[in-house]
Amino acid sequence: MPGLRQPPPQLGAALGLCSSLTAWTQSVRSAGAVDPGVGRRLLPSRLLGSEVGDPPLKPVRILPSVVSASVSVSRKDQAGQATTLGQMSCNPSFGGIGKGHLMREVDALDGLCSRICDQSGVHYKVLNRRKGPAVWGLRAQIDRKLYKQNMQKEILNTPLLTVQEGAVEDLILTEPEPEHTGKCRVSGVVLVDGSTVYAESVILTTGTFLRGMIVIGLEMHPAGRLGDQPSIGLAQTLEKLGFVVGRLKTGTPPRIAKDSINFSILNKQTPDNPSVPFSFTNETVWIKPEDQLPCYLTHTNPRVDEIVLKNLHLNSHVKETTRGPRYCPSIESKVLRFPNRLHQVWLEPEGMDSDLIYPQGLSMTLPAELQEKMITCIRGLEKAKVIQPGYGVQYDYLDPRQITPSLETHLVQRLFFAGQINGTTGYEEAAAQGVIAGINASLRVSRKPPFVVSRTEGYIGVLIDDLTTLGTSEPYRMFTSRVEFRLSLRPDNADIRLTLRGYKDAGCVSQQRYERACWMKSSLEEGISVLKSIEFSSSKWKNLIPEVSISTSRSLPVRALDVLKYEEVDMDSLAKAVPEPLKKYTKCRELAERLKIEATYESVLFHQLQEIKGVQQDEALQLPKDIDYLTIRDVSLSHEVREKLHFSRPQTIGAASRIPGVTPAAIINLLRFVKTTQQRQAAMNESPKTDQCLRNADRLQERQL
Amino acid sequence: MWRGLWTLAAQAARGPRRLCTRRSSGAAAPGSGATIFALSSGQGRCGIAVIRTSGPSSGHALRILTAARDLPPARHASLRLLSDPCSGEPLDRALVLWFPGPRSFTGEDCVEFHVHGGPAVVSGVLQALGELQPWVRCLVLPMGLGGDQGASDWDLPAGSVPGLRPAEAGEFTRRAFANGKLNLTEVEGLADLIHAETEAQRRQALRQLDGELGHLCRGWAETLTKALAHVEAYIDFGEDDNLEEGVLEQADIEVRALEVALGAHLRDARRGQRLRSGAHVVVTGPPNAGKSSLVNLLSRKPVSIVSPEPGTTRDVLETPVDLAGFPVLLSDTAGLREGVGPVEQEGVRRARERLEQADLILAMLDASDLASPSSCNFLATVVASVGARSPSDSSQRLLLVLNKSDLLSPEGPGPRPDLPPHLLLSCLTGEGLDGLLEALRKELAAVCGDPSTGSPLLTRARHQHHLQGCLDALSHYKPSKDLALAAEALRVARGHLTRLTGGGGTEEILDIIFRDFCVGK
Repeated sequence: MPGLRQPPPQLGAALGLCSSLTAWTQSVRSAGAVDPGVGRRLLPSRLLGSEVGDPPLKPVRILPSVVSASVSVSRKDQAGQATTLGQMSCNPSFGGIGKGHLMREVDALDGLCSRICDQSGVHYKVLNRRKGPAVWGLRAQIDRKLYKQNMQKEILNTPLLTVQEGAVEDLILTEPEPEHTGKCRVSGVVLVDGSTVYAESVILTTGTFLRGMIVIGLEMHPAGRLGDQPSIGLAQTLEKLGFVVGRLKTGTPPRIAKDSINFSILNKQTPDNPSVPFSFTNETVWIKPEDQLPCYLTHTNPRVDEIVLKNLHLNSHVKETTRGPRYCPSIESKVLRFPNRLHQVWLEPEGMDSDLIYPQGLSMTLPAELQEKMITCIRGLEKAKVIQPGYGVQYDYLDPRQITPSLETHLVQRLFFAGQINGTTGYEEAAAQGVIAGINASLRVSRKPPFVVSRTEGYIGVLIDDLTTLGTSEPYRMFTSRVEFRLSLRPDNADIRLTLRGYKDAGCVSQQRYERACWMKSSLEEGISVLKSIEFSSSKWKNLIPEVSISTSRSLPVRALDVLKYEEVDMDSLAKAVPEPLKKYTKCRELAERLKIEATYESVLFHQLQEIKGVQQDEALQLPKDIDYLTIRDVSLSHEVREKLHFSRPQTIGAASRIPGVTPAAIINLLRFVKTTQQRQAAMNESPKTDQCLRNADRLQERQL
Repeated sequence: MWRGLWTLAAQAARGPRRLCTRRSSGAAAPGSGATIFALSSGQGRCGIAVIRTSGPSSGHALRILTAARDLPPARHASLRLLSDPCSGEPLDRALVLWFPGPRSFTGEDCVEFHVHGGPAVVSGVLQALGELQPWVRCLVLPMGLGGDQGASDWDLPAGSVPGLRPAEAGEFTRRAFANGKLNLTEVEGLADLIHAETEAQRRQALRQLDGELGHLCRGWAETLTKALAHVEAYIDFGEDDNLEEGVLEQADIEVRALEVALGAHLRDARRGQRLRSGAHVVVTGPPNAGKSSLVNLLSRKPVSIVSPEPGTTRDVLETPVDLAGFPVLLSDTAGLREGVGPVEQEGVRRARERLEQADLILAMLDASDLASPSSCNFLATVVASVGARSPSDSSQRLLLVLNKSDLLSPEGPGPRPDLPPHLLLSCLTGEGLDGLLEALRKELAAVCGDPSTGSPLLTRARHQHHLQGCLDALSHYKPSKDLALAAEALRVARGHLTRLTGGGGTEEILDIIFRDFCVGK
């Protein structure tokens, strides 16, 4: 790569956006999976035979996480082991607003990355503290080296798991299973050296590697990440199979030498004290708040704008038409879209003993020499040394309407996609899909029904439902504003929402985690009913808790739960006023805090629950998987609706109703079709099997808190 | 298991939208267990109008409107005085029927009010039902029904009984379907029915939203969407990015202003919003086909200026008439043609807009001029597009009328053989008028006899219900406290408004966020 310094190994891979190996870790344990474009490590199928259905392993534990995998082919054989397993390829942080929710949900399903982050962070901070617990954003700066070490330790010490590296060039395809849809079935992969690896199911987590192209200034190089070869053969295979392919772009900022920055004149941001861990299983994180590293804030200025505007002709990435994310813009597009403003630049540590600083907000694709020139215009960075330039990446993704909510492709049986290949961006989004793909790859092998998270159950469900029913035209990022049941789907209650289901339906949750979630659920229920049962007049409450701003003119008795809704009241003050029976609910700090949160949202939650039930009932109505919308005659549908249904292949009436352009009349026709089909089937085999949907509906209702 | 199905269809019914669940987020309506009401008799002249409710609050509604502690005996007609629960004003002496579920049309608790058919009475009852929202009930219950505290249904905590709301298209039938009250053959027609109702309600809503009210509603929805987008931006990006100072303050100012405007409008609207009732019949055709002559002939008065000059009528002229016993709002429109002066072009635009809203289209052509480009073009666009839709596809009806039959020579070749079914008429001699009136009677009977065609009274009740719902939700917007909770209030408020105006997806919000703010790392 002319014009680029070859970075030292531990730095070099920190470019591009993450590729998700989350899925990989799970699937290797239970099904056999492949990380083709990137990690190139596989699980030989002979190991699988012993693992699938092996009783001592049940419930199968899942270890998804973001394990970004990038080893350039040349570097692969140096150590002969997983050199980039656990490599964070972009920002040195996890979580954030909306993303923190995903982290909690991944953890609730016993995914790995949240726990690894609790062992590897250097700056923990909860965002949105003042805005209500439903939108708190757990976030942490993560030490790249520690994360990688801890992740590798966890993965490589997983019993029965073999990690093997190799670039995947092609898929092995065989005859489809007749009882499933899809035109063929994947049964393994072909590596770049021609060797083959067989597997019962395969998960592709290609990151930015599918026909990846790196752009700096006017230079373009085929690469998935700086220094890593892109996957071209695989991209061609997927296209030949008939997948609809699109193109997206993203970017990464330069890295700056820590000792070249004048921090003393910049605003310092200190971490929270105490730190809030990501994982439900952790009481605290590995590092004390006072030992954590600060972040610093600086701003761009008109001179930065000037350099950008003067050099647009040297910047092909900015001019390209490929869709980039609107929310993660390069400094160039910020300057172009919002001129004459100062833009924030966060200077984030890359790790405890790292010499690098990640300037969040300065993603750019200017020629390398201009990058340093621009950076040195910024306050505090006057003498900054750029160790590695920022660059843009353009890559292929596959229209996610081609996969089911279990993340299996419609076209190829047992082939699963997770992460950027589906058009998402971000570690957390990738991790969320990784968990689901991993679980389902494994369930598929053991011939169990898929594990699908509904949009009424979690941000994971919203993410996957959005992708599979609507597709995406820009890198998809999680926002809390995308979530209609935001007050119900909170970071605090992800375990109640998902852990119990994960244990029962997917078998992916450890016994210990399951028992903890069960205890929490019953304690919360008990606590809430006790709080509802305690009633006093408002003047008595005022006497008991003088600081509460309750109006004493109300004559009706007031429940303790309603008193707890006041901002100035918490479980401690309530328990002080009414020690019996409330004192015992303050012993566990987490329980006390969660009771307070439940009280805050109680009245709205009631209404949301009604709505959620309605949506869930629609989602319990499953559409036949093998229905051919283009030719079916029993259903009266317009051509336009047929095309839309054919492309998205919704699995339930609920999902069908969310596809733009599918009319209410079409939904009724579909319903009638479903009902008739059920009756016909019932008549045919006269077994109660066709009540599957009914049972699903019951199960969904049980799942409600 | 079928119970939830109405939710999605109802949501999907609300016109163009990106994502139905998303936009409905938090809005009061969806969710199983809501109680709905509708006018279920047609809008032809009738002595008695029937208003139905279905859902768990039906019994409460009946007790509150009849100011009685007890429900009347089930499935017996009883004479009761209905009065407004807020003002106590008597509304009507009516027959009421109480059908406790599951032995009812929908399988849920149902009530039928047989009231005297005048618009004032019907409107009063619909409005009273629409006002039975939880917060109203809280005020009403302790006074009127204090003694009932022991009764089991009142044990529910305040606010936990969903309020009543106007039914969405086809909702009664869907509930019956959901509760197994319809067999599969009966359901055959359900999709068609729902489509027709959706279309009819959409047209009705368009008509009512045409003009000042529509302008207001769209303006409010825009303001609210922007305020919500800014609050959402503050939640999703506020901390990490430098949103401009005062984003929340600005949103707060806008929300408070909206509250004032809505409040003033609601107080005002109770008195004098003109109802544009009756079946909407629109006369259309190429210029100089004789549309205005037909309008004058049907209304028996010179509504429109008639001249041999093409393009005489430029604006939409509207006149209420009685046709074959049905109330009709007859509209004369500008002749459809392109490439004329700006004033006439505006007339053509209005004509097309009005055509969208029509229940029945009277498509008019000059019988002696069928080969002309303007006639052919009209046949190919307007007539063919309505005709091509199968009856299930559109509830809009069309009668093709060939005027100036007096100009056709009796022995000459008949009109083109490829013409769709049509009527011959001469506005000049009056020949063919009887045939036209008979055809009109049949069409109008179909349009007006069908309760689903979207009664303007119900449309008004819907407006009022959703505007009130919006206003109530706005009063819960307290950005100084939990911002997620405050945003929820705005989401609910916006859900109500977008029921009236359409739109309302999450994408809209994100578009505004990325348009107005430079967010992201």
